[in-house]
Amino acid sequence: MPIVVEKLNHAYMEGSSLAHNALTDVSLTINDGEFLGLIGHTGSGKSTFVQHLNGLLQPTSGSVTVDEYDMADKKQRVMGRRLVGMVFQYPEYQLFEETVAKDIAFGVKNMGIPEAEAMERADEAMALVGLDPERFRDKSPFELSGGEKRRAALAGIIVMRPKYLVLDEPMAGLDPLGRHDILDTIDNLRATLGCAVVMVSHSMDDMADRAERVAVLSRGALLRIGTTAEIFGDAEFLLENGLDVPQVSRLALALRARGVKLPEHIYAMDEMELALSALLGKGGYA
Amino acid sequence: MIEIDNVSYSYEDSGRAALSGVTLTIKKGEFLAVVGHNGSGKSTLAKHLNALLLPTEGAVRIAGMDTKDEENTLAIRQKVGMVFQNPDNQLVTTVVEEDVAFGPENLGVPAAEIRTRVDAALRAVGMEEYAARAPHMLSGGQKQRIAIAGMLAMEPEVLVLDEATAMLDPRGRREILAIVSKLHDEKGITVVMITQYMEEATAADRVAVMADGKLLLTGTPREVFAETELLRAHRLDVPAMTELKERLNAHGAGLTDDILTVEDMTDAICRLLLKN
Repeated sequence: MPIVVEKLNHAYMEGSSLAHNALTDVSLTINDGEFLGLIGHTGSGKSTFVQHLNGLLQPTSGSVTVDEYDMADKKQRVMGRRLVGMVFQYPEYQLFEETVAKDIAFGVKNMGIPEAEAMERADEAMALVGLDPERFRDKSPFELSGGEKRRAALAGIIVMRPKYLVLDEPMAGLDPLGRHDILDTIDNLRATLGCAVVMVSHSMDDMADRAERVAVLSRGALLRIGTTAEIFGDAEFLLENGLDVPQVSRLALALRARGVKLPEHIYAMDEMELALSALLGKGGYA
Repeated sequence: MIEIDNVSYSYEDSGRAALSGVTLTIKKGEFLAVVGHNGSGKSTLAKHLNALLLPTEGAVRIAGMDTKDEENTLAIRQKVGMVFQNPDNQLVTTVVEEDVAFGPENLGVPAAEIRTRVDAALRAVGMEEYAARAPHMLSGGQKQRIAIAGMLAMEPEVLVLDEATAMLDPRGRREILAIVSKLHDEKGITVVMITQYMEEATAADRVAVMADGKLLLTGTPREVFAETELLRAHRLDVPAMTELKERLNAHGAGLTDDILTVEDMTDAICRLLLKN
């Protein structure tokens, strides 16, 4: 059962002179277990959109249904919200408990799960995000490095065993090493738990590398949704809309402009390597 | 302009050496990018350039002035302006132009000249239309432009950007990089840009790579990014085109070592295809 978003509209400060439409008629479906990337400028409505997925924001019109729970209905929202884990930007700012384990267990304890079981689940979650429970369980969250803090914050969501994991700029502010670690952790969570991932990111190379489908938002509207190949294979479309494209897509565009014939929808390094060695190979080198 | 002479630095609470034996000279008018992981010492190094931190061992001299001599501190901070990572932590007033005027006012610059400097600084970062706006209503990239304007109003010779683009979106990053490049090209300002984005480093004249508190490598972007094995050994990103070049050469393509940008690669591929 998927998340179904239908004709979603959201107006901020409705009725006042500052009213503006942050989302206009957005319809899309998030399928079980998929990795959906969400791209668009700052102000394109990405963050507003994801906050509807767990009912933090309510549609001005239209609907959001999580596994058939209508998120506009108060009672159903409680059930739907349990299925959706939200990780916000800079989640490490939200760590507050004395120990890492207590911080991670906070959410499940609030759900009424007994202490012992909550702590067991915190250990599990730590292991899943690559923090050794023996080493980190009793540390203060404030002793952790930036990357470790972020993983601890992620564990605090994973511990609730969400069916959909929604991440708003999970790599923001991390260096390349930290970025790869978080992306690997997300892939690992998806493989182990089978959860769907919805990720908002500005990093096009990372998005091209990891997502299965990509949705492009612009000025609150869904501009395009398609497979990663369909979206990043059309560098021209992204550039026209002022978005970044992966380097390989830019190379494909530049080579085509010079008359080089390449297969359609090239955006990944492996494909480009294959295509170019085939082309150059025809010229007779080994 | 800036001499970093065998500098080591340990933070008091950790005792670990954040910098060890770094020697580097930054010439007047140069655009230097410093790259490295979190914890590599690049920000610690940046904070030595305007006496926010003082070396535990070795010396830093700005236009001949030793940063350890307290009498030099004010003069050094006028020469070296710093812009930091978080756009929300650097603006102090409620009106853009007041924020830009804040520095020169503190220096005791006469009112009429402050006006001239503020106008010029806002023009240099393309924000003159926003002079009367409230800083908190601006985008991250615009806030950083105001922070840069605030530094420019002090008429510094060196602009140090300590991961000033890390919290910005791609558009904001491009804005800042374009402005910094322009200030360097047109006004001859010396720029030291601390960054984790390799593509920003490619815009510099020279790149310094930091790892474990040491200077690993310096050179032109082409020289530095050609050292793929060394970069990978330190788990640093290798530019995508450099990686593609290596892969194609493994198939015997025979591409030259200095390919760094999409334009370089396009030209090289077209040349090869033509030859074949």
